[in-house]
Amino acid sequence: MAKHPHLTPNGSPPKTKNIWGTTKRIWLYLAEQKGLLTFILVLITVSVVLTLLGPYLIGVAVDDYIVDRNTDGLLWLLIFLAIIYVVNSLAIWLQNYLMIGIAQNTVYSMRRHLFRHLHCLPIRFFDRKQHGELMSRLTNDIENVSRTLNSSVIQIFSSVLTLFGTIAFMIYLSPILTFITLTVIPLLYLGMKWITTRTKKFFREQQRNLGDLNGYIEETISGQSVVKTFSQEEKVINQFKEKNERLKISGYWAQAYSGFIPKLMNVLNNLSFAIIALAGGILAVYDLVSIGVIVTFTQYSRQFTRPLNDLANQYNTLLSAVAGAERVFDVMDEEKEKEVENNIELPTVNGEVQFRNVSFSYDEEDGQTIFDVSFQSSAGETVALVGPTGAGKTTIINLLSRFYDPEQGVITIDGNDISRVTRESLRQHMGFVLQDPCLFQGTIRENIRYGKLDATGDEVIEAAKLANAHSFITKFPKGYDTVLTQDGGGISQGQKQLLSIARAILARPKILILDEATSSIDTVTEIKIQEALSRLMSGRTSFVIAHRLNTIQQADQIVVLNEGRVIEKGTHQSLLNEKGFYYQLYQGHLKNDVV
Amino acid sequence: MLKVLSFLKLYKKPIYIALLLMFVELFVELLSPLFIAKIIDDGILKNDLSVVLIWGGIMIGLSFLGFAAGIINSFYAAHVSQSFGYDVRKSLFEKVQSFSFANLNRFPTSSLITRLTNDVTQIQVLVFMALRIAARAPLLVIGGVVMALIVNWQLALILVVAMPLLLLFMVWLMSKGVKLFRAVQEKLDAVNSVMRENLLAMRLIKAFLRKKHEQERFAKTNHELKDQTVTALRLIELTMPVLLLVMNLSILGVLWFGSFQVNANQANVGEIVALINYATRIMFAFSVFSFILMGFAIAKASSARISEVLDAEVDLTDGEGTSLTENTVQGNVQFDQVSFKYPDTEDKVLKDITFNVKAGETVAILGATGSGKSSLFQLIGRLYDVSNGAIYLDGQNIKTMKLDFLRKRIGYVPQEARLFSGTVIENIRWGKEDATMDDIARAAKAAQIHETIAKLPQQYETILGQRGVNLSGGQKQRISIARALIRKPKVLLLDDSTSALDLQTEAKILGAIKKQSCTTFIITQKISTVMAADNILLLEDGMIVAKGKHDDLMKKSALYQKIYASQHYEEVVSHG
Repeated sequence: MAKHPHLTPNGSPPKTKNIWGTTKRIWLYLAEQKGLLTFILVLITVSVVLTLLGPYLIGVAVDDYIVDRNTDGLLWLLIFLAIIYVVNSLAIWLQNYLMIGIAQNTVYSMRRHLFRHLHCLPIRFFDRKQHGELMSRLTNDIENVSRTLNSSVIQIFSSVLTLFGTIAFMIYLSPILTFITLTVIPLLYLGMKWITTRTKKFFREQQRNLGDLNGYIEETISGQSVVKTFSQEEKVINQFKEKNERLKISGYWAQAYSGFIPKLMNVLNNLSFAIIALAGGILAVYDLVSIGVIVTFTQYSRQFTRPLNDLANQYNTLLSAVAGAERVFDVMDEEKEKEVENNIELPTVNGEVQFRNVSFSYDEEDGQTIFDVSFQSSAGETVALVGPTGAGKTTIINLLSRFYDPEQGVITIDGNDISRVTRESLRQHMGFVLQDPCLFQGTIRENIRYGKLDATGDEVIEAAKLANAHSFITKFPKGYDTVLTQDGGGISQGQKQLLSIARAILARPKILILDEATSSIDTVTEIKIQEALSRLMSGRTSFVIAHRLNTIQQADQIVVLNEGRVIEKGTHQSLLNEKGFYYQLYQGHLKNDVV
Repeated sequence: MLKVLSFLKLYKKPIYIALLLMFVELFVELLSPLFIAKIIDDGILKNDLSVVLIWGGIMIGLSFLGFAAGIINSFYAAHVSQSFGYDVRKSLFEKVQSFSFANLNRFPTSSLITRLTNDVTQIQVLVFMALRIAARAPLLVIGGVVMALIVNWQLALILVVAMPLLLLFMVWLMSKGVKLFRAVQEKLDAVNSVMRENLLAMRLIKAFLRKKHEQERFAKTNHELKDQTVTALRLIELTMPVLLLVMNLSILGVLWFGSFQVNANQANVGEIVALINYATRIMFAFSVFSFILMGFAIAKASSARISEVLDAEVDLTDGEGTSLTENTVQGNVQFDQVSFKYPDTEDKVLKDITFNVKAGETVAILGATGSGKSSLFQLIGRLYDVSNGAIYLDGQNIKTMKLDFLRKRIGYVPQEARLFSGTVIENIRWGKEDATMDDIARAAKAAQIHETIAKLPQQYETILGQRGVNLSGGQKQRISIARALIRKPKVLLLDDSTSALDLQTEAKILGAIKKQSCTTFIITQKISTVMAADNILLLEDGMIVAKGKHDDLMKKSALYQKIYASQHYEEVVSHG
């Protein structure tokens, strides 16, 4: 649909590193339907030839039948023309019909491959990438490719063919008139160049100002409680006005200049029309061309300025789509998470976990995150990991669940080195309650069932009851069928965490991991959850990270970490008696009580 | 639509000029075929070169005139559409700023942002289009038909018949197309939302081994998107073939009947050529129609969303004023049988709340998630009005006060720090526009953030947010505390706003707050903070179940004892 340049204002096309490589990869997707594509190409050629033939035959009709006042045979010519037009329309329709199918199949498989690949990437990838940027690749960039494939492929082919076909035909009819008509092309080129160098600058500016304004609106509206309680409405409105003004000015210039393009196309159309009339007229007076040729030319002149316009338009769209595709392919080229061959399936486990001299760093330059960590737990024990922020607690969890693999040392479960075990079979025995509860769009029931996809309705309710979530769920008018929206609106952070606990309960794992599971839950609710958690933890090996020390006092073993090293181990009481780091942490925690 | 378009009233003059210029262009366009007819009939057929030269020259001259008109039109149209967009955005933003919280809750933030940006842009594009091509295309069609009628009315009848048929077809197609594309958008949103969820929850998905489950879910939405897109696009792509067919067949009709007329000497060759030309022009004008109709449909939906915001009734009115003056406000806060429910909901979140706080006291509010703590805070700053009962500040009902007066006396520290992009100093100065550097440093010191700021690359001038330095959660909280303290508020509201701070820092901040004689309300989870308060309110299901000092509550409230015990084990009597 992008036939009007001012409707799809593109600033400078985004930089592409490897246009041809990327184009080739898109082609490989398209080439899966090579036969059909060839057929489309044939159809395009047919329609271009027919489109060119029409005006020519009309010129013939004018010359041979109307000027000569001869109706014999005109009917046959017109019937022939009618057939040409019908076939032409059919060809155009069919090529679009088929191309849409191909384009959408291509985008479909690109999306599918991308999605599959994402799931094979190591967690390291997601930890490093900025979510917003990645998200934009997965949505906007692919959408961009989709839009371009729908229309551009056909448009580019047919534009090029039409352009050359028209010129060839025109030369055939009258080389002189062709030459005179083509004089508008340099004008077109110069005009376009003059305009685009200006629009580019202003569009970039407009885009920046628009982004600025959007950001400001987002910030102030989502921070409305602060704006209001600080009664800063007026200040905010004034700042908004400033940004709004800037956008208006840059928008004005961008729009005015880009508005020149269709006008330029128009004047050149009219000009070439006038030139043909004038020059053609002169030539016709000297009998160098016929009236029919003039008629044909007036129609052709439109047919070659239009494809030129389309091509100019498509150029930017195409470049931005290729750039988009390149960013998508970049993700697809990320190395998959490696699984060592011949890794065994971890059989049923008791839950005996051992860390032996484990060292690890996320980034070689940053130095080691944990260093020479050793501890062990017997089956069914609760191990609490304690230490200040950055001590390496979450890293230990990451290693145990094989989101990352240690650089040195060994982690075993029931004596099996977990790096020799498939990730899948390892995690099958584990249940997770993570810091960020991560719920999905869908009903509450579906979200709890995520822990065990084939769980019955009763099992879900049972799990919710154990997690003390049942009572608040039933308070919703739709109960378990309440739909959670994407941003989790409608339920509080604490309630989300309860649901994620219910989800973990349902999975009935042998090893349980609670990473700050209760950090966003209020104290009163926490009391309730503690009961649920102790029910959940009994008979299971559990690893617990919590900021609030009181939640871990009943652990069988407390592992105290500082700066990546294990500095103390023991029970709550024994550690207090040691009067070491833990004692200090605990004292600090309590000191506040008597402020 | 009308409501939004009425913003254009201010720009009547430039609109008229733009339209006039467009008519000039149109005029040039419509006259050209007439001149061709003239050149053929009077020039070529009569071998009169001077006619060819004169009319050819006139045509070239006119096409430049049309160009000049088009260029000037571009400036006027851009001026109107940009100023229009500016005005609509401004009114929208001002309206949103005047919204009460109840109003705001009716519009999700993301939707408000879309309305202010995307929707305005859509209409702005339509305005620009209308002033340049949109109005031109229909006029070109009508003008073309009229001119054709003037040239040769009998032959032009063919066009007169073909036009409405085409128009009907296009309108039908578009109305169907708009619906289909809306469905495509929904499917696209669904696909993107699965993508987003997967991205955010990748750790969880890997942990729960739900790769296959997610892939199936994605495959389903992806497939639906594909099918819907194909259906919609294939329908829309009918436009061109049908348009071409109808117009080309009309041209054949002109030729067929024209040949009889020429034979009967009722028409000249030039007339036939002119008619064919008009038909071609009309055809190209028509191909823009689908565009215009689509743009119009989009703009209509957008303007409906904009009007919804502009028409929303603000349901929180300013008080009339009060006899209190800046210097007489003490900070006594009294709740008298206050009940509250959120607009458009059934259940009361606060029931019959009564308490009295003397100026300078500290009140800790304790309760489970959803017990009504944050709602209570919102009532004090009159973000909502109470449903029953009343709240008094120094004996004066807060409803009667000017909102501005009331809120200037209140310092608020939200649960999430909510800083704005800009420098540190700008963020702190938010609390008090005319604060001096000394004031700012003092507030920062009280909030225990001064030293951290001093270590930043540009100290107080460091830019925060997206394009600047990212602070940790605790650092943001402390800046947000400084922002509240700088107001020297009489009533300070801390909504669990020290959660990311360690205990020592928190204690220092609370100590600094004590020195500023202000009434302080603290929502907190930490029993240590609660114990230090002058007064404790224990909320459950929107009601006060216990109030008093720590020692009282230890005696009378079982729930309070439980909370205390959960955080404070008896066996560790380190301070006893």
